[in-house]
Amino acid sequence: MRPSHLLILFLLLLAALDGVLYVDYLRLRHDRPAALDILTATAAGLGLSDLCVATEARYTRHPAASDRVAPVMDHPGGLEHFPTGSFWAPPPYPETRKEIAKF
Amino acid sequence: MTIFSTGLEKQLNILDYALASFWRRKLKNLSVMIVFGAVIFLLASFQMVTRSLTETAADVLAAAPDITVQRLSAGRQESLPLAYRDRLAAIFGIRKVVPRIWGYLFDEGKGANYTIMGLDVAAMPGGEKLPQSLAAGRFPEPDETGGCVVGRSIVRIQGLESRRHFSLFRPDLSLKPFRVTGTFGAESAILTDDLIVTTLPEAADLFAIPAGLVTDLCVYVVNPREIDTIAKKIAARLPDSRVLTRSQILKTYQVVFGWRSGFASICLLTGLLAFIILAWDKASGLSPEERREIGILKVLGWETADILTIRFWEGCLIAALSYVLGVTAAYIHVVHFNAALFRPVMLGWSVLDPTFRLVPVLEAADLLLIFCLTVLPYLAATVVPAWRCAIVPADSAIRGG
Repeated sequence: MRPSHLLILFLLLLAALDGVLYVDYLRLRHDRPAALDILTATAAGLGLSDLCVATEARYTRHPAASDRVAPVMDHPGGLEHFPTGSFWAPPPYPETRKEIAKF
Repeated sequence: MTIFSTGLEKQLNILDYALASFWRRKLKNLSVMIVFGAVIFLLASFQMVTRSLTETAADVLAAAPDITVQRLSAGRQESLPLAYRDRLAAIFGIRKVVPRIWGYLFDEGKGANYTIMGLDVAAMPGGEKLPQSLAAGRFPEPDETGGCVVGRSIVRIQGLESRRHFSLFRPDLSLKPFRVTGTFGAESAILTDDLIVTTLPEAADLFAIPAGLVTDLCVYVVNPREIDTIAKKIAARLPDSRVLTRSQILKTYQVVFGWRSGFASICLLTGLLAFIILAWDKASGLSPEERREIGILKVLGWETADILTIRFWEGCLIAALSYVLGVTAAYIHVVHFNAALFRPVMLGWSVLDPTFRLVPVLEAADLLLIFCLTVLPYLAATVVPAWRCAIVPADSAIRGG
């Protein structure tokens, strides 16, 4: 068999595998709205503001409800030491008070 | 048709030669493919994981309260007087204000942090749909003593598969007993895995919060377009408060995986470094065996364009196969292994391991971005070496000069 025929055979196998994975992906996306309904109901019913990804520190458990100073506020000169603190970028500054001056 | 079939046959012949040449240096070429594929795997996995979390947050947290009011003292969050609810009642446009008591409890015996939340579920807008999130049981009644709903990680770590009662320590180290009335289901795990939901009086008792104080107020407005205006009014009326709007919560998760995130920086810089190494390898010149091979081909009648085509096919083969294998492996890693390689980074020192399933977002734009960031630069990096390879004079190459 020619090398190019072997390559084409390999590419066809790869295409078949990717085809199966794509069908699996479509199935997951199809099932997603039902799961989203449950998640939305949970977030609305409990007033949740964050995903539960890391539970080691309060500012990584609830990054949206924390301040930028939260990682270093434990004591003067405190350093941010939790591993997941570097996983998230710091939340944007809330601008409510800046807007009050214009209000 | 004849010209087409002749041209196709010629390309297949050149491809055969390129594949044979690839296999003659299989150790080096397969090593390059593995490293290149690993770089693409890392970038594609990162893209899928972060897009999945960001998309989930954007879809789910759109149901967060319109405005959340907390109280700050010396830059730290403190309990907020329930009387603040009455001061908000005078603001036109506010539909409802619901108090909550919530916080964190560190279980020293297990080394785990729990999120405890006390609220009147029936008072929350959307509270009537909340039972959908339960795998079993019910939410406790407002006047029920000790009743709570727990997340799946709490069930595991407290051993609640076979019993319903457990206890937690109050600040004075006295034990507060709880009775599980319901458990959250797997579908809501990404929100509730570490959560214990109980009533307001029970949460206040657990945290020893005096009567008349709560942790925050969930504010709901009549017109969603007035959220920012009402937030400003609340901040003006309650100067010691921090006012958090839903848009700020959503903005957090839009930027949380930006390039300033340490995780993103490590993945991107690692990919860049690996690519630089690959490109240096390609640009480092021809070996004597390669020069001799090209000289012999030229003596046999091969043209410069044919030599260029061989090098193009070799580069294309490595880049394209690495890309397809890398992206395929990334999808399998994220979906079927739940991003196992990234889990230690995502969990850190967490004892509780939230068991949620990531559903990646496969958009053509993202795949094209990864393609342009990896394959195209690699192919471009092979152009000059391929040209230098093709213009080697036959006689000097065979003589070894």
